Amino acid sequence: MKNGVLCRAAVLLWAGFLVASPAAWADDPKADPAGIATGDKGSVVDAAGNPFAAPAPTDPNSPDFAKNKKDYDDFQSQAAKEPLAVKLADSVGHIRVATNFAWTLNTGYLVLFMQAGFALLTCGLIRKKNAGHLMMLNFAAYVFAFIAYYALGYAFQFGAVAVNAAPSNLGGTPTLNHFLLGSGQWGFLGGRGFFLTGPAYDAGSNCLMLFEVVFMETAGYIIVGAICERITFWAFLICELFVGAILYPVFGCWVWGGGWLSQIGATLNLGHGYVDFAGSTVVHAVGGFCAMALAVILGPRLGKYGKDGKPRAFPAHNLVYVVTGTFVLLFGWMGFNPGSTLGATDLRISVVAVNTNLAAIAGSATALLLWYFMFGKPDVTMACNGMLAGLVAITAPCAFVSPTSSVIIGILAGALVCFGVLFNERITKIDDPCGAISVHGFCGWLGGVCVGIFADGTYGAGWNGVGASTYLGHAGQGVTGLLHGDTRQFLCQLMGATLCALWAFGATYVVFTIVNKIKSMRVPPEVEREGLDVPEFGMQAYPEDAVVSQ
Amino acid sequence: MKRIDSIIRPQNLDQVKEQLAAIGIEAMTVTEVRGFGRQKGHSEIYRGTEYAVDFVPKVMVTIITQDERVDDVVEAIVTGARTGKMGDGKIFVTPLDEVVRIRTGERGNSAI
Repeated sequence: MKNGVLCRAAVLLWAGFLVASPAAWADDPKADPAGIATGDKGSVVDAAGNPFAAPAPTDPNSPDFAKNKKDYDDFQSQAAKEPLAVKLADSVGHIRVATNFAWTLNTGYLVLFMQAGFALLTCGLIRKKNAGHLMMLNFAAYVFAFIAYYALGYAFQFGAVAVNAAPSNLGGTPTLNHFLLGSGQWGFLGGRGFFLTGPAYDAGSNCLMLFEVVFMETAGYIIVGAICERITFWAFLICELFVGAILYPVFGCWVWGGGWLSQIGATLNLGHGYVDFAGSTVVHAVGGFCAMALAVILGPRLGKYGKDGKPRAFPAHNLVYVVTGTFVLLFGWMGFNPGSTLGATDLRISVVAVNTNLAAIAGSATALLLWYFMFGKPDVTMACNGMLAGLVAITAPCAFVSPTSSVIIGILAGALVCFGVLFNERITKIDDPCGAISVHGFCGWLGGVCVGIFADGTYGAGWNGVGASTYLGHAGQGVTGLLHGDTRQFLCQLMGATLCALWAFGATYVVFTIVNKIKSMRVPPEVEREGLDVPEFGMQAYPEDAVVSQ
Repeated sequence: MKRIDSIIRPQNLDQVKEQLAAIGIEAMTVTEVRGFGRQKGHSEIYRGTEYAVDFVPKVMVTIITQDERVDDVVEAIVTGARTGKMGDGKIFVTPLDEVVRIRTGERGNSAI
């Protein structure tokens, strides 16, 4: 009966969105499912990004109209004289987009592999009796958050990306052009491409979808680290659907989908608007602060705090998994950050890759040495957390900062994660078995702010439509931070990163406090003492630990 | 017949086995056990929080032997397992009523 209702609700929802997003409006660009019309002479640019073909000027009131008109006319007369060159340019444009497809898809596959890294890391960090349960959480996170993102999340996040943030490296996805809430530079929620039908059934859009869904999955599995060893499976599934359909896509739309937060550089004169290159906040802080709210609602694990309120340690059960998982994550991050250019034709990718590694090792060294100094012995689990902290914090600034700044950002993150773990353990008493709140929440926020401090202006000219010709009086000046003279960018980053934390924590807290009131999201105490593996799934992760008669 | 159970440090097992082999002991059973005596447990720090290891991992070696060999066996175990520090373990000797070899049905001393 209950299933019947759910089924019917899903069908109605699907039908509703199909009607709400008609396949093609009269003046709409057409989707290109086969990929045979994506990438032509319009996609040809030189190394500096100047287009080969001057586009037809559309706005006669623009101050540059006369110049644009002349460029366009010059191009047309030249093209009439050299038709073969124009044909060749069509091929070059297609190859350029194809190169970027290959880059974006392959880096997306690397990010997908991070799922395995996180499963190993978190499984190693918890107690043996819950290992099977945790592996199921990691597995179901991928499956159910993906369904939610396919149905709703992708359209909410990128349904209007062509309005302000068209991914030109992938052909521009011109069919994703309608906000469900808001319009122009004040968009709040995308509105095209539900269930990947109609406008989203397009080669460019699907390339974007593959890359972005694995990013969403990252936020989806971050929460596992803070809520494991006590959450029921049904409650966890609701968490994943919520993250994949609503929590992640909303903030993602604001920053990456061309939404209002990305446009406040143009509308409110705040630098280049809120800038997060690969997701310190969009992905990690959203996951981390969502995890924090859930951990607060669930409460600490039984026995974590004694009657005197003092914390007790539940040591990791497999350090081999912890270290292996961390290196799988580092490897996956080579897709996460460099891949976020959405194109191999953007040669900044080498700087991004090196910056990412530098922050990782700086964060790891800092956490390891700090722990050595404070407690007399280095702790490999904290060294791993330090590496991830550095990675999380460099994710937003990685394209905009120098290698030196990356090392400094890694050091800051490595220190922050240590104090964050101790702060949660001893002061807030929010039980976080794997340190997810400190690693992804606190360091994600730090990463967003670091863009506003360390960005050196060498990259990102014209970012979010700001300063395409000159910025701060210099031609080609990109995103610039406090240390290089742009105070307003710093304010924008501080505000945006904080807003991210408030959104992720607040929305999660409200929704799941209600869910928890209706039915407790936590397993009964006797189940928690026994371990969740058998009561929830009827299987142990390590069956050799049980004496079984054949 | 006697049953000799010795609880020793895991890292001393090889030396004990060698000492016993040298005096011709051909059979033994080894069990991984945990416990504490005067040595007590110890505490460690994990992610900044102290935790106690109350039950220290040990190995229990069980040997069945004829009454007249007990002193030799005990001496061999002591030689192999002694470091002189607290936590070396203990040896328990108890009388044994019967031994049966399952394959042949032999009983008593010839079954050892």
